[in-house]
Amino acid sequence: MENQNQQGVVEIVSEKIWKFFSSVKLAVVLLIILAVVSVIGTVIQQNQAPEDYLREYSPATVQLFETLGFFDLYHTWWFVLILLLFTANLTICTLERFPTAWKVMRAPLKPLEEAGYKAAPFKQEISIKGGAEKAEAAVLKALQGKRYSSLVAKEQGATHLASQKGAYSRMGVYITHVSILMIFIGALIGSFFGFKGFLNLPENQVTSVVYLRNEPLWDKIMAGFGIGNSSVIYDPQVGVPSMPLGFYLRCDDFEVDYYQNAGRPTGMPSEYWSKLSVFDQQQQKVLDKRIRVNDPLTFHGITFYQSSYGTIPNAVGKIILNVRLKQSQGPGETVVVDPGSSVYVKSIDRTIRVTGFAPFGMRDQRTGMVQFYQSQNEELINPTVDLEILRGKTPVFRTQVMKVDSAEPMMPENYIISFVDYWGARYTGLQVTKDPGVWIVYTGFILLCVGPVIAFFGSHRKVWVRIQEGKGQAAVLVVGSSNRNRLAFEREFNSIAEEIAR
Amino acid sequence: MESSQLFTFATVAYLAAMVAYISYLAFRSEGIGKAASFITYAGLALQTVALAMRWIESYQMGIGRVPLSNLYESLVFFTWSTVLIYIIVEWKYKTRAFGAFVLPVAFLSLAFINFAGISTDISPLVPALKSNWLFYHVLISFLGYAAFGVAFAVSMIFLLIDMEDRGPVRNAGFGLAAIAVLAPIGYAMASAGERMKMVFWMGLGVLILVWFLYLVMRGAQNKPQVYLFWAFCVTLAVGLMVAMGIDIVYLNLTHSLQPGDSMKQHLFESSFLSKSVFNVLVSWALIVGLFWLVWAKGMALKKLLAQYVPKQEIMDDVTYRMIAIGWPLLTGGIITGAVWANSAWGTYWSWDPKETWSLITWFVYAIYLHARYVRGWKGTQMAVISAVGFLAVIFTYLGVNLVLSGLHSYGGMN
Repeated sequence: MENQNQQGVVEIVSEKIWKFFSSVKLAVVLLIILAVVSVIGTVIQQNQAPEDYLREYSPATVQLFETLGFFDLYHTWWFVLILLLFTANLTICTLERFPTAWKVMRAPLKPLEEAGYKAAPFKQEISIKGGAEKAEAAVLKALQGKRYSSLVAKEQGATHLASQKGAYSRMGVYITHVSILMIFIGALIGSFFGFKGFLNLPENQVTSVVYLRNEPLWDKIMAGFGIGNSSVIYDPQVGVPSMPLGFYLRCDDFEVDYYQNAGRPTGMPSEYWSKLSVFDQQQQKVLDKRIRVNDPLTFHGITFYQSSYGTIPNAVGKIILNVRLKQSQGPGETVVVDPGSSVYVKSIDRTIRVTGFAPFGMRDQRTGMVQFYQSQNEELINPTVDLEILRGKTPVFRTQVMKVDSAEPMMPENYIISFVDYWGARYTGLQVTKDPGVWIVYTGFILLCVGPVIAFFGSHRKVWVRIQEGKGQAAVLVVGSSNRNRLAFEREFNSIAEEIAR
Repeated sequence: MESSQLFTFATVAYLAAMVAYISYLAFRSEGIGKAASFITYAGLALQTVALAMRWIESYQMGIGRVPLSNLYESLVFFTWSTVLIYIIVEWKYKTRAFGAFVLPVAFLSLAFINFAGISTDISPLVPALKSNWLFYHVLISFLGYAAFGVAFAVSMIFLLIDMEDRGPVRNAGFGLAAIAVLAPIGYAMASAGERMKMVFWMGLGVLILVWFLYLVMRGAQNKPQVYLFWAFCVTLAVGLMVAMGIDIVYLNLTHSLQPGDSMKQHLFESSFLSKSVFNVLVSWALIVGLFWLVWAKGMALKKLLAQYVPKQEIMDDVTYRMIAIGWPLLTGGIITGAVWANSAWGTYWSWDPKETWSLITWFVYAIYLHARYVRGWKGTQMAVISAVGFLAVIFTYLGVNLVLSGLHSYGGMN
């Protein structure tokens, strides 16, 4: 007895909970709460440094906001709780209503009872010359013209037609709701089993790890319980958790293109890219790709996005020059030289000495002279070298060569020297993510595009017709109903009636 | 011929169409109505050609990009899509009554560009914006905004037609008293610094929201109160637009904007939040006058409109139709943005203010749709929710860029 009683209580409570979560009123209330609470996080800038907050707010306010979690509002336990309530609400609302909608959608066509003809919202009576059969044909033609599927039943001297279209539109709302749930599930999988990290990888360097911004929650929880090992490495010397990639990534080259003004780079980047190579555990090259913003590289589920770049402070790179004979069409000879040193170029029997270097060179518009500039953060906007050309030990001439030049550099002899790259002093900034849930999210996105369109632009429309034989003419009663878009249905209904009468 | 000249012609055409639509209401002449429609078609055609030419010009300049990527272009495109959707509604519902409300919006947006001195240069794109997603994202989002804009215009007319009477004069007195209380508080808070200024505007927003929730929860039954809300919103919308216009003109004339300063730091400094008490008094006095004008003359406007506009049932349907088109488009806009962000940064959602506000807008219209489908609401309440939804749209589009900061940097004024 006691046991039974307890079960009763559990049943009552769970029924109450179910009822609570199946209400649309709750959905509207939760939507209002979500909307209002979200505003707070847009007014207070999120995830700033503590000193930035102290500059904007008083210490007491900072303390209060900190406690309430307003500085990282969308990840606080209470915001997540609202989202979970919303998810529960959405799930239970859907489960509660779906079976009925499914039944209605699958229900076979049935002739209407007398009461149904009386209660239908749209009604028209038409009399047609000729017999009932002619009327039936006219009705079927009119309905087929509007893509209705029909069922004909004959009883007690009357012909009954039941027809419908757009039954599938009843699923639109469930497709929409399920798509939202899929997006939530995909996002959860992403944060449990994926990570977000970054890498500042210098040209000519290899890495086997990535530094993490968000570690996989699953690893964190498992390690917290002492079950299983987290793949995350905490090295106090680095200060940031890192994660082994399982392969090697090398930055072969990094390049920036700048928008040009009259042939001179402006310092505003138009495009930047990195050439990345992937090596497996045996140090064999597996693939390479030039990635740029909006075009990442993916390997073993880990994606590398081009996100930033910079010059390594005090680093000295290699100067790569190309020497080509003026009359030849060939590729010429490429030489590599350190700033301040010289290199012998066999094809022209000259020695090139680099006597000066600047990250940003520009030709003076009036004099045509090459000027050397320092750029902010030593950014290589247009690397430029000052060169001395020697035959043996005898200087022949001096010239300045820029990577991008608005004019021809001075080349008195029968060859041209061009600046290919200043290489090895820059790093590429990469965002690195692994998100195993993203495909579920994307499937959700597609369904979320489809669902509302079905729900809003489709409607389940039904038309019933009763044809009774009269004296030389048939009396046709047409009635109809639609679960939404009544005004549009009214137009269609009237045009069907017109079509029948014709 | 350059695209900028064509844009000017289009602006003039919209001005002419606006005058024609208003005269159509005033003189009840079918001929004027037809002329108004024709001028609108011509304006839209000119604008379409101008947009295409601007696209071609960008290629000739060696930049080569879709003309949808700064504030100027987005305002032009917003106007274009609003007029397009309006023409469809006019044709589908066979009524020209809404033209007198939609065309002014189109004309004022274009005129705002000139007044505000928004840069019309074709500037190069930063690498992150160089993506095919830019086109789809902006196109879909703005078509959605335009549909919501038309829904808003129709809802506001609906609310006006819905009014039996405006209620006793003390209702207006309540509105006036509210402004009288707001004025000194606003002035005091603005003098207390940047933060408090922000708190004031946010506080005002919350007050309006609470008022709106109160009205909707009561089923919007108290019509004179809804009318008061309507008058207050119209006053606020017109007043703030004009004040911002004055600000922008004033700042440009006096060149008091330092390099690195943004417009948002100086918003309303030549009107409501001016350092000169005289300016403040005049501004608030003008707002009081405007409010009285709207409140007192609204019913006369209603009488005039009532002869033209379709049945309330049809207006309710137009509003719903526009939201049923706008909401999937907004959804598509958010999704294309998310997919683009994921291909650029590896994160499809980062709670950036613009993203969050688009989601808030999405919530508001989701409430509209659920209230309609599941709770069976109709008419007045729905029109009020639609009005609030569009306020959220405006904030998502302009407010976020003017007031808040985030990833969508294109919208800056300078």
